[in-house]
Amino acid sequence: MQRISTVERPNWQQLAREYGFKFHTMHGETYWDESAYYSFDLKQIEEDLEDPTEEIHQMCLQVVERVVSDEELLRKFQIPQKYWEQINYSWKMQEPSLYSRIDLAYNGKNPAKLYENNADTPTSLYETGFWQWLWLDDNIKSGKLAESSDQFNSLQEKLIDRFQQISRSKLGETLHFACCKDTEEDRGTVQYMEDCAKQAGIRCKFVYVEDIGHGEGDFLTDFDDQVITWMFKLYPWEFMFQEEFGPLLLDADVSFLEPWWKCILSNKALLPMLWKMFPDHPNLLPAYFEEDMARADLTDYVKKPIFSREGSNISIVENGKTLHESEGPYGEEGYIYQSYYPLPKFKGSHTLIGSWLIDGQAAGISVREDRNIITQDLSRYLPHIITG
Amino acid sequence: MKRSRQINLDVMRKTASVPSVKILTAAIGGVIALTACSSNTQEAKIYRTLQECKQQNVEKAESCDAAYQHALKASTRTAPKYRSEYDCESEFGRNGCQVNQASGSSWFMPTMAGFMLGQALTRNNSCPYGYYNTRWGCHASQPVYTGSGSMYGGWYGADGTHYGSTRSRTARVGSKAFKPKPTATRTMSRGGFGSTVAAKSWSSRASSSSRSWGG
Repeated sequence: MQRISTVERPNWQQLAREYGFKFHTMHGETYWDESAYYSFDLKQIEEDLEDPTEEIHQMCLQVVERVVSDEELLRKFQIPQKYWEQINYSWKMQEPSLYSRIDLAYNGKNPAKLYENNADTPTSLYETGFWQWLWLDDNIKSGKLAESSDQFNSLQEKLIDRFQQISRSKLGETLHFACCKDTEEDRGTVQYMEDCAKQAGIRCKFVYVEDIGHGEGDFLTDFDDQVITWMFKLYPWEFMFQEEFGPLLLDADVSFLEPWWKCILSNKALLPMLWKMFPDHPNLLPAYFEEDMARADLTDYVKKPIFSREGSNISIVENGKTLHESEGPYGEEGYIYQSYYPLPKFKGSHTLIGSWLIDGQAAGISVREDRNIITQDLSRYLPHIITG
Repeated sequence: MKRSRQINLDVMRKTASVPSVKILTAAIGGVIALTACSSNTQEAKIYRTLQECKQQNVEKAESCDAAYQHALKASTRTAPKYRSEYDCESEFGRNGCQVNQASGSSWFMPTMAGFMLGQALTRNNSCPYGYYNTRWGCHASQPVYTGSGSMYGGWYGADGTHYGSTRSRTARVGSKAFKPKPTATRTMSRGGFGSTVAAKSWSSRASSSSRSWGG
């Protein structure tokens, strides 16, 4: 695993316009960064990332199996009681899931360590599945990279296949896609999802989360009063649970992507549960609930809110001293504690691997860099290759 | 090769036009369901055939006609639809599916294996949502199907809800069982989702137009 400086494609900004990649620069700062790339060998990809990703996913599913029917755990996961039955049902019915991204700390040598699981609303999908693929394709075509270069990234192919699979019993049904207003990044991600679903032959329609309606007869409706029966939402379950229309979901007969049971995996309480059920697993970091901290003997740890996004409200404590604290609006629902395992540094940047799954299959990686030790949504995205 | 073998760049290009995919008329069928312990339940009767219904309800044979027709219509509209007979049969069993056609396309869907009849009391002289008025009170009916494989021996609704064993001709069902599935309805209010985002937008980045609510 190496970070290799390179020359940008001269026309990449124009290509970005052509393909509708609008958020390559955010808040005036570079997000897509092709002035360098990461290079892995095949063994690192297959043994250190691909296999552990699928194994971690299987362990996570075992956590779901345990939590969905345990009231005490559901309470620890801060899931409102009125949704328990529906979540349990969604799991028992094996409602299909589309995708997840697990974040790993990996330096090319030691076992990758699970930071967290973005199982409900993972982003950076477009950059991964399409844009970095195009980058490699262009670089091979122009002769800058060897013909034998590859990438761990079958995300788009698998995503389209998965859409096809899920839609087998939904021929002719419209899949609504939803995200919030005023975020180019989310809109771009959802647009990409739509593009993939369309290629799987699914009829798609978009609606903003804020525009979703409560229809007569207790249905969800889109902006044209069409009843929503099948929906991909880039909007967290835990937000929906708290909001006015939350209880309506129990009556509205909608198949969701991601399914209800994913709310258990996108929850930071997953981390201490994993450690309880699979202690000392090489890809896990010790993690504890608040009440177990006294016995935990952790001197260097990261404190994370049970619900947190994009690195908000996280503090890093070393020997009782707070090294770093990120601000944000989360934390009222409680915290979990995870052993501090710093991200590896490559040429001064802290590097985080996002490892993607389509359903249960590892499907590729994304590499993000940050100047800070906590990766936030201002981090930069760098492409990668597998050396041939 | 560890990457996608091929990506259709024409489809991905936003400045070029994307060919639209022709698909059938809308069908409905979420997989979310009722549960036996939900408070608002009733006993519904299941009949395999119209004749069976009439034999058991000699005095109200007409109500069977209405229920049967109603279920048959609902079945065409709401049964899951499949492109391949194989996919359909793997869920509903050999000979459990039929081919249907409309506006030049054809598809496979499960054959109605019976219909479920429910009753409700009138409220303010009218029937509850999803029920129709008959001489014998408010009735509602929905198609039921029988499954194969792990679903073998059970009654299932169009949305996948399990209504018990086919050995039984009654099912305890929740209020959602007879809920109609319109494709459009009047919207009473909007804005019931999205408030968390407004509340969680905080100082330094509240004005940004790019931040993600994903992660």
